[in-house]
Amino acid sequence: MTTREGPSQPTAEGTDGRLVHRLEAPILESARLPAGYHRLVVRAPAIGAVAQPGQFLHVWCHDPTTIGTPPAAAVLRRPYSISRVWSGEAVEILLQVRGVGGRMLSGRRVGESLDLIGPLGKGFRIHDDLRTAVVVAGGSGIAPVPFLTETLVARGVRVVALVGAADDDRMPFPVDRAEPGRATLLPLEAVGAEVTFVAEAVEGKLVSEALEERLEELSGPGAEVMATGPVAMLRQVVKTAGESLPVQVSLEERMACGVGACRSCVVPVTGAEGIVYRTVCRDGPVFAGGEIAWERLGR
Amino acid sequence: MGASGTVSGPDLSVQIGSLTLKNPVMVASGIFGYGDEFRGLADYGELGALVLKTVTREPRPGNPPASRTVETPAGMVNAIGLENVGVEALVEEKLPLALSYGTAVIASIAGDTPEDFAACAEILDDTPVSAIEINISCPNVRKGGMAFGVDAWASAQVVRAVRPATRKPLIAKLTPNVTDICAIARACAAAGADAVSLVNTFSAMVVDVETRRPVLAANTGGLSGPAIRPAAVLRTFQVARAVSAPVIGMGGIWNASDALEFIIAGASAVAVGTVLFADPAAGNRVLAGIREYLVRHRLDSLQELVGSITLRDGD
Ligand SMILES: Cc1cc2nc3c(=O)[nH]c(=O)nc-3n(C[C@H](O)[C@H](O)[C@H](O)COP(=O)(O)OP(=O)(O)OC[C@H]3O[C@@H](n4cnc5c(N)ncnc54)[C@H](O)[C@@H]3O)c2cc1C
Ligand SMILES: Cc1cc2nc3c(=O)[nH]c(=O)nc-3n(C[C@H](O)[C@H](O)[C@H](O)COP(=O)(O)O)c2cc1C
Ligand code: FES
Repeated sequence: MTTREGPSQPTAEGTDGRLVHRLEAPILESARLPAGYHRLVVRAPAIGAVAQPGQFLHVWCHDPTTIGTPPAAAVLRRPYSISRVWSGEAVEILLQVRGVGGRMLSGRRVGESLDLIGPLGKGFRIHDDLRTAVVVAGGSGIAPVPFLTETLVARGVRVVALVGAADDDRMPFPVDRAEPGRATLLPLEAVGAEVTFVAEAVEGKLVSEALEERLEELSGPGAEVMATGPVAMLRQVVKTAGESLPVQVSLEERMACGVGACRSCVVPVTGAEGIVYRTVCRDGPVFAGGEIAWERLGR
Repeated sequence: MGASGTVSGPDLSVQIGSLTLKNPVMVASGIFGYGDEFRGLADYGELGALVLKTVTREPRPGNPPASRTVETPAGMVNAIGLENVGVEALVEEKLPLALSYGTAVIASIAGDTPEDFAACAEILDDTPVSAIEINISCPNVRKGGMAFGVDAWASAQVVRAVRPATRKPLIAKLTPNVTDICAIARACAAAGADAVSLVNTFSAMVVDVETRRPVLAANTGGLSGPAIRPAAVLRTFQVARAVSAPVIGMGGIWNASDALEFIIAGASAVAVGTVLFADPAAGNRVLAGIREYLVRHRLDSLQELVGSITLRDGD
């Protein structure tokens, strides 16, 4: 491989003790997946060593060697969750191609490298007394679930994953319906999750409704909900489960800096003195479901 | 990597009133927060100055979220709305961290009235900030900066109110959303500004055609990035000819060649803004490129280049 590897910039510890790296990371795998998804795996041991599930990478969509040329499109970086960490060495993102940035990234090839900054933000809190994690994911919210599941399972936590999409063909992973009456995603089972897949078009319900049906069974000491997906789903999950279980949600918002400087990506949080704005990029993307001022959120 | 002062080569220093900057590359206000957020992503101490996010007398919550920024062709539109911690928290909590980079730190202030600006300046006068930038041009706060920056008399009134409140060098930051930016620059200089900086963002709007609503929660915002560069270079050129005070040029600078356009057009110093979101080390990259240019053109000092443009025959 002819690509450069390793830090392209000095990497240092911020005064708040966090480690953020900027790397030119060689692309090890670039694969088109079903339903307009794309998988990128890069070699980034510095990030892999410290990444937590729920954290994200801020990715420059262009070839790193063109950083000195003003781009006509995709001027800003794009935030993508860390989807998997491979033996601490390689980091994977799973992106749904939505616009110009996603299209550019899906055209990047093995042998090139990605200019990325990370790991950024605060991921899911994994409390010591956590026994059962009910992971609820909708749409591209599936991306962080493999890393989250692997981490939880390694810590002895039971992972019940409820994954929703509009239809079977909207998922990056093949839906397995071999067992009558039960749909699952084998890649998620492979990392240790008990998976229930809910296609609105097939099952005739939303993933939040599937959660409601199983809430009583899953509630109990040491149980917690961790949800990633569209705001409408997250809101519904908090409404459904918030009374019985602690809920953590991973939010998305438009970003510019990705490091808490520009105040682009704020969300309204209810604090002691009323509503305050917190950044998705630095205070989040994972928040306690109860602290979000849902009525003020959203476009 | 040695400290920039020990690197032999052309003289890159810049004089802004009583302040000497070791080189002309600054970070623009609002990009870098209060300085600590980007720590570790580049050697910011190497740059000429760091301008911190604009602060007001009291903390402000800023505009509603979703969305505050939106990407556009070769740029972005922002409507942050001057969310800030307030001048007192800046001084107590943020400033020590920014100063630890070891280069000049410039505070940026705004307010609803000239007295608000003066109150901020008075508090900052007792601190180690190297200069104060007066943000009369922020286009996002309905009651705030815009009202001053579009009017020569009102702009001068703010500078006149701030002048007796501090001994620090004062920089008036101009908005391009005016008919005659030179008149505003002249009024600020006459009122006691040691330098002027320009441009702030251009007023802009982005419409979501599906919902038929503006994308920004504040409806309108300010355009920045490479898209505005030629418009910013022209205004820098015009203002540099209109005032004798030094001019700090910015607007869409992405690389050293962009920065040199501003300098040749008349800017004594330049600031990088939006580019830092893409390349946190852009300031260092621009600085290295300017140094390389001076060497290549056998120039001993940056000053030889400032305003050295030769106009073509057409009028
Ligand atoms: C913390 C975080 C983690 C994310 N993780 C994933 C992931 O793992 N997989 C995945 O497929 N997507 C993820 N997203 C969404 C992803 O960032 C957007 O799909 C992407 O930015 C779209 O860029 P584009 O150029 O393809 O689309 P365009 O629509 O052309 O983008 C235009 C602009 O809007 C911004 N934008 C558009 N949609 C979003 C969004 N939902 N959130 C934030 N900014 C947006 C873009 O960054 C860009 O600045 C995540 C978002 C956040 C905030
Ligand atoms: C997100 C964002 C926030 C900004 N906030 C401020 C601010 O608080 N005060 C200010 O004087 N200018 C602010 N600006 C304007 C910049 O300092 C600069 O004048 C402008 O962006 C043009 O430079 P650029 O094209 O290199 O970004 C802001 C710009 C952006 C993009
Ligand atoms: S993107 Fe700048 S504060 Fe979050």
